[in-house]
Amino acid sequence: MNVTITRVLPFLLLVLGVYLWIGYAITELTGGGRKSSAAVDISPEGGEAIYWGKGRCFTCHSVGGQGSAVRGPNHGQFGEKFPLAMGARAVERAKERTEKEGMEFTAIDYTVESLASPGAYVVKGYKNEMAVVYAPPISLNLKEIKAVIAYLMTLGGDLDMAAIDTKPSEVTLGFYAKIAAAAEAGGGDPGLGAQVYEDNCTDCHTLNGEGGEVGPDLTGISAKGLKFISEAILQPAKALTKGFETYVAVDKEGRQTVGLKTRDEAGEVDITKANGDVVTIAKGELKEIKIDDTKSIMPDDLSEAMTVKDYQDILSFLMLQKPKPAE
Amino acid sequence: MEQRQTSGIFGSEPAPRRFVRFCLAGLLVLGLVVAATPAFALEENVYRQVMGIDSRRLIWFLAQMHLFFGAFVLGVPLFAVIIEVVGWNNKDPKFDNLAYEFTSLLSVAYATTAALGGLLAFALFTLYPTFMGYMAGIFKDIMFLYALLFFGETFALYMYYYGWNWLKGGGLFSTGMQWLFKGISLAIAACGLTFLLGGIGPEMRVDTRWFILLLYILPLAVGFWIIRDRKSSHIFIGILLNVFGTAIMQLANSWAGFMMSPAGVDADGVLVGTVWQAFENVLATPIAIHRMLGNLAFGGLVAGAYAAVKFIGAKTPEEKAHYDCMGYISNFVAIAALIPLPFAGYYLGREVYSTSAVMGNNMMGGDFSWTFIIQAMLVGSLFVISNYYLWSGMTRIPGAQRYYKFIKYILFALIVSFAIWLTPHNLPLTSQEVGEMAGSQYHPVLKYLGLMPAKNAVVNLIILATFFSFLLYRRGNMEGAVSIRAQGKGARITILIIGSVAIALVAQYAVTMLKMDPAELDLPADRAEYIRMIGYVLVFECIAGVVAIILALTDRGKLGQAIYLGVTAFNVTIFLGVYGFVVMEKASPVLRNVAVSQFLQLISCLVVVAVIDAFLFKRAKSLGEMQWGRMTVRSQYALLLLTFVITMNMGLMGFIRSGLRGDWHIFGVMRDTSEWAYTPSNFVMTQQVGAAVLLFMIGCAFMFWLGGIASKKQED
Repeated sequence: MNVTITRVLPFLLLVLGVYLWIGYAITELTGGGRKSSAAVDISPEGGEAIYWGKGRCFTCHSVGGQGSAVRGPNHGQFGEKFPLAMGARAVERAKERTEKEGMEFTAIDYTVESLASPGAYVVKGYKNEMAVVYAPPISLNLKEIKAVIAYLMTLGGDLDMAAIDTKPSEVTLGFYAKIAAAAEAGGGDPGLGAQVYEDNCTDCHTLNGEGGEVGPDLTGISAKGLKFISEAILQPAKALTKGFETYVAVDKEGRQTVGLKTRDEAGEVDITKANGDVVTIAKGELKEIKIDDTKSIMPDDLSEAMTVKDYQDILSFLMLQKPKPAE
Repeated sequence: MEQRQTSGIFGSEPAPRRFVRFCLAGLLVLGLVVAATPAFALEENVYRQVMGIDSRRLIWFLAQMHLFFGAFVLGVPLFAVIIEVVGWNNKDPKFDNLAYEFTSLLSVAYATTAALGGLLAFALFTLYPTFMGYMAGIFKDIMFLYALLFFGETFALYMYYYGWNWLKGGGLFSTGMQWLFKGISLAIAACGLTFLLGGIGPEMRVDTRWFILLLYILPLAVGFWIIRDRKSSHIFIGILLNVFGTAIMQLANSWAGFMMSPAGVDADGVLVGTVWQAFENVLATPIAIHRMLGNLAFGGLVAGAYAAVKFIGAKTPEEKAHYDCMGYISNFVAIAALIPLPFAGYYLGREVYSTSAVMGNNMMGGDFSWTFIIQAMLVGSLFVISNYYLWSGMTRIPGAQRYYKFIKYILFALIVSFAIWLTPHNLPLTSQEVGEMAGSQYHPVLKYLGLMPAKNAVVNLIILATFFSFLLYRRGNMEGAVSIRAQGKGARITILIIGSVAIALVAQYAVTMLKMDPAELDLPADRAEYIRMIGYVLVFECIAGVVAIILALTDRGKLGQAIYLGVTAFNVTIFLGVYGFVVMEKASPVLRNVAVSQFLQLISCLVVVAVIDAFLFKRAKSLGEMQWGRMTVRSQYALLLLTFVITMNMGLMGFIRSGLRGDWHIFGVMRDTSEWAYTPSNFVMTQQVGAAVLLFMIGCAFMFWLGGIASKKQED
């Protein structure tokens, strides 16, 4: 014990002292802890708090000499690469967007787009890897996003609070709707949701004229609401769409075929199974055919096949499938 | 060393019963708390405080202390059993005594771990009732299983420790009995094979399947197979102890993993899948793999610290010799675990990225980028100090002087690698400094050292250099290599089998790279050449491996080793180190394949070279007996420093892993709405971890002291 107290303990304290010093020196160099901001107003100050706090923008962006992240473009005026700060730069970028899209983009439209659809117009030299800020884990709400827009516009630009908040343009309104839909769906990423849809749903469902026809057409599905869509994914039997009931056909030899009744003519019926196979049964061979409202041919194990993130993403994607206006 | 009767630190009689009663009471209370807690859906989070203390820091501290002791308790049995097996196999009582002494440390720490675990559970349930209610609702089945496994571990530990002398000596069991155990072993092996082929749990993740196979099924099958007398039965109990310990760790890890990558629940946190899905979340097994290796290294080094303290205070040459040997084995075990640890970390990091790019970016380029610089300092120090300890150990080996000349080169390689590993990705610079660098925040030269390809290259070089030190150490008192051909078929077949498996590991990845469609990595077809190049390098590596084996079998093993080590060093450090930058520029997603290929080449090379070396110097003429105890006191401080450093590093890694969730209790599902929902600074981290390290070390010293007086009492 004497050895421990007289020799080892001082040695340990020395090592810990060095450890503390390193922690102190690095904190001095890089800044202290990051506090999340509480609820903020739609103001540049609120946006600044979110930028350097809850929004985690500082993980990838810097503002001039403030911050040291380089993964994303610097939002301040910085060296030869960024002669204009974000507010002024947005005006230039908006002109490019207008030219490319053939529709009028304002600086605010462009900035809102860069948050709502970060992959739409990526700054040259940077990757399309920006996080969706209205999806978990960042999960900014619309009010907080507006505050960040206000903050970015003050960086070398003109701040028009009305255009951000009370009187947004049609373009901005469209992006706000997208953000709101995604937020309502638990904050999923609609872009990633499209891929999840492609992987899991497109073989059976039609969307905007494309896809399989085994299941209901999902064009304009958002009109049915989040609860319905959510239930239809997790417990498909509880939300059967009329015309897509599950039929159980039993022939005289006792063989059972389960699926959609896709043809019913005088002499025979077609049952389309979940895998798309069509089984034609002569009516004379049928012992019985009935609707089983406890079953859906849609797989009921999607919750197992998808992660929470996939589920949130696909919900947000489906919530964006608005009904087409009447021609 | 024959003082080992039934002495725990608390003397002979009441210790086991007291421990068992204590554990049972603690677990019962935990069980009641769990059982009484309803499954909360998401609701307003309730937070409480006790005596005005910051609840988060309190939980952080308690969890850290529990994990320190837990890691020790889980790590030590792993190598205690291995050392016991070595002693049993060689009929060398020295190893048996060492294994027993390691285990005596374990029994002391076990109760403290359980007490801290109970305290942590109470603190969590009382201070974070909503969060814990939710977790208990999801994991209630697993929590009960966890509690039950504690019974298994407790009984296995006491059987193992207190039955050491009882299960010693005696004759062989009857033939019928031996066949019964072999039959059970075969049945377990058959189940294992079915499990491996997907007959059981077809949906299971590959990593989880291998984890269960290698750490539960295989040890159990081997354990039953070897039972033939009382001693082998004792070893089997040791294996059971490890199986229980590993299972406990894996279950608890699943909760930590779930908090980072929740599965089986919907966006509102409602369980829509199965408990198994929640348990087998994306990060659960990568964390378990990383922690398993970390525990082994940590357990080894804490035991090494015990040996170092005893060595420093030793009065007689015999004592010094004993504790020197103990320290050496501890360090050896730690290095063996440290070598694959960076790769386990890399795998965990990759899975973190795949779970959430935000979490991944925050880890390497956000809040924790500088914490990782501190981590790099600590890990680099671990390797450098381990090498120093090995070099110091060469002073006790007659004949090792021949190899001293290599040390300066190894040191140079280590320091250069260390410096590169420490180079940050981007430097904190003033605007003026940035302006002087033409507006770029990347330093024109240092940027090449701060990026991932450079770091991957040097971590491989550090491992190769450490392995080279180990080769020099073990050859120290061997006069020269012996003929492998003269050793009969056994030696050649062993080299062939192990070599073939190791090379096949590389070859299968070569085939994967040569066939891979760039579209799998979201790359256009014209980027295939970057993937193919990795395949060609791997083929070259395989050829070098085959050449090394052929040379070894024709008694030119040293040349074979040199060729294989040289080719591997060139491939993983120089070629792929530089090529990594090309890949990063042209086909960035392929960078992860580069890293995997580096790992496979390195591991394969280490295995083949080590096996060749084992036969090359088997029964080689000795230049003198190992002079255990002839070590400098300075080297013992190195051993102590290793322990301090790994403990600090464990605390730091815990901070990063937990902090990655940001202001979420359960990432993306349950927000942390408390006033502590922010990432503390690195200074706060070093304060918190430093305090935990200090208390842990004081706790260890106290327990070792108690163990010492108990032994003294027995001797008297």
